[in-house]
Amino acid sequence: MENKTSSEAPFWNPYLAGIVLGLVLLGSFVVMGNGLGGSGAANRVAIGAAHIVAPQAVENNAYMGPMVAPGQHILDDWLVWEVLGVFLGGALAAYSAGRMKLVLLRGPRATVASRLVMAILGGLVMGVAARLARGCTSGQALTGGAALAAGSWVFMFAVFGGGYMVAPLLRRYWK
Amino acid sequence: MMLPLYPNEVFGRATGMVVGTLTGIAFGFVLERSGFGRAPILAAQFYGTNMRVFKVMFSAIATAAAGMAVLAGLGLLDLGLLTFPETYWWPQLVGGLLLGVGFIGAGYCPGTACVAAASGDVGGMLTYLGVMLGSLVFGFTYPVFADLYVAGKAGVLRLDTLLGLPYGVVAAAVVAMAVGCFFGAEALERWFAKRAHQEAPDTLKRPRNRSFVALAALALAAVATLAIPQSVQSAVVRTPAPVKVVPLVDAALRLPESVWLVDVRDAKLCKEKTLPRAVCLADLPKGAAAAAPSHKRLVLIGTDTVKEVPAALADFPGEVASLQGGYPAFAAELLADLPAEVTQTMTPARLAEYRLRGALHARLTGAAAPVAAPAPVVVPVAPTGAPAKKGGGC
Repeated sequence: MENKTSSEAPFWNPYLAGIVLGLVLLGSFVVMGNGLGGSGAANRVAIGAAHIVAPQAVENNAYMGPMVAPGQHILDDWLVWEVLGVFLGGALAAYSAGRMKLVLLRGPRATVASRLVMAILGGLVMGVAARLARGCTSGQALTGGAALAAGSWVFMFAVFGGGYMVAPLLRRYWK
Repeated sequence: MMLPLYPNEVFGRATGMVVGTLTGIAFGFVLERSGFGRAPILAAQFYGTNMRVFKVMFSAIATAAAGMAVLAGLGLLDLGLLTFPETYWWPQLVGGLLLGVGFIGAGYCPGTACVAAASGDVGGMLTYLGVMLGSLVFGFTYPVFADLYVAGKAGVLRLDTLLGLPYGVVAAAVVAMAVGCFFGAEALERWFAKRAHQEAPDTLKRPRNRSFVALAALALAAVATLAIPQSVQSAVVRTPAPVKVVPLVDAALRLPESVWLVDVRDAKLCKEKTLPRAVCLADLPKGAAAAAPSHKRLVLIGTDTVKEVPAALADFPGEVASLQGGYPAFAAELLADLPAEVTQTMTPARLAEYRLRGALHARLTGAAAPVAAPAPVVVPVAPTGAPAKKGGGC
C-alpha cells in the first residue's frame, strides 16, 4: 500500500481503534451530554469571517442571521473548542508517531494540480452536504449512529452509497 | 442520576469549554492513530481493498451505543438529557449521498480532513477550507434548500422507539450486526486482494478476536440491565436550553418564522402583558404542540427560567428553549428605561447590543426615538471576534 518507513509508528488495529473511539464518544455523551462533531466549527468560523466582511448580508440571511444575533458570539460554541481539540490531538498523534510532515497525499496516478482541485471541490460539496444534513460523518453518522437516531442511520448508509456510486468514476485518480 | 455531568450542571460553561477541547484532543488522537489522516487509506474503503473506515466506525458506534445502554440501564445515565440528532428523512438522505460524493473526491470527511491538516497534508487543509466555503454556499443559497432542509421532519426519533424494542436490545443488535458485517468485510477484502494478487490488510488475529469478545461482553451487559426494575431507569425529560432576552425578541420580531413563543405563566398574568408574538399556554388548542410548524424553536416564558417542559407541550417535536429569567427579565431589559450606558471603553459588540436593545425598547414602548446611542468613539479595538483562522481553524 503506502510506503511506510520504519521510523513511523504503525496504525492501531482497526477494531481496537474503533473501541477506543467508541469510548471517547461515550465519554463525550456522559460528560457533555453531546456527541462529537467535525463540520459545525467550519460553519461557525466561515460565518464569523463572512460577518466581518459583509455584516448586513449575513445578518439578514434566514439561515445565518440568528447565529450572529447580538448577545452571543458565533465562535462561542462547544463544537468550536472540540474541533480545535481535534486539530491539536491529530497533531500530537502524528508528531509522536513520526508522521508529521508537509506533504500532498494522493493516489499514485493523480497529478498535484488535480489533487489540489479535488480536495477543495470535495470539501465544498461536503460543506453544503453537512449543513443540509445538520452534521457530517462525525456529528451524524458516528454520534447519531451511536445514539440510535433513525435519520442518522439513513445518513450513514447514504454516505457509503454516495461514495460507492462515484468511486468507479474516480478509480484512475485513487488507484 | 448524575450523568451526563454538564446538563446536570455539575460544572459550568468555562469548564465545559476546557472539557470540550480535551474531548476533541482524544478524538483527533484516535482518528490519526486509526490511519484516518491519510487520504489513500480512507479512499481504499470505496475500492474494497481496505475496509478500515467501516471497521473503525462500526466498532465505535457499537461500543458507544452498548455503553450508553448499560449506563442508562443501571440508572446512572439520564438519556433524556442527551442531545440526540433529530431526524429529517430527506435532507439526511440527500445530504448523506452528497457527502459521500465529496468524501471520495476529497479523500477525507470534514473531521478527518482536520486531522490530516494537523499532520501536514496540504490536501487535508484544502479540504477543510472547502468545507468552510461549502458552508457559506449553503448559507447564502439557503432559500434554494429551505424546503428540502425541513422535509420529512420526524423529531427525535430513535431506532428503539421506531421498532418498539427496549434500548438495550437494539444496542445489542447493533453490536451483533456490526460483528457479523466485520466477517463479511474481511471476506470481501480477501476476495479483492486475491483478484489483485496482493495480501489482505490487517491479518493480526489476536487483537481482532479480543475486540470481538469485548464487544460481545458489552452487548450481553446491555441486555442484562433490562432485568433491572424500570423505576430506576430514566424517563424522557427534556430540559429547555436557556436563551437571552435581547436576541430572542430580536429574532421574534425580525424572523417570526424561526421561533414559537409560549407564555406558560398563569393565564391572567399572560393576558395582562406578555412578549410580542407570544401566545398564552391556556389559549392553545389541544394537540397544538404536536402539530406546530416543524422548523420553529419553542421558547417557554415563565415567571423565571423554565426548567421543565409543561405536559401540554411535551409533544413538540423540535428544539425547546426557555427565556432566561422569564418575563421579569424581559420587562427589566426592554420595557424599563434604558440606563445611559455610554462609556469610552465599550467594545463594538457591546455597542451593537446596546443599540439593538435601544431600538427594541423604542419599538416596544413607543418611546420617541431610540435612546441616545453612544457615539462611536470606541472602535480602534479589533472586533471581539476571533480572527478567521487558517489551518488551525478546523
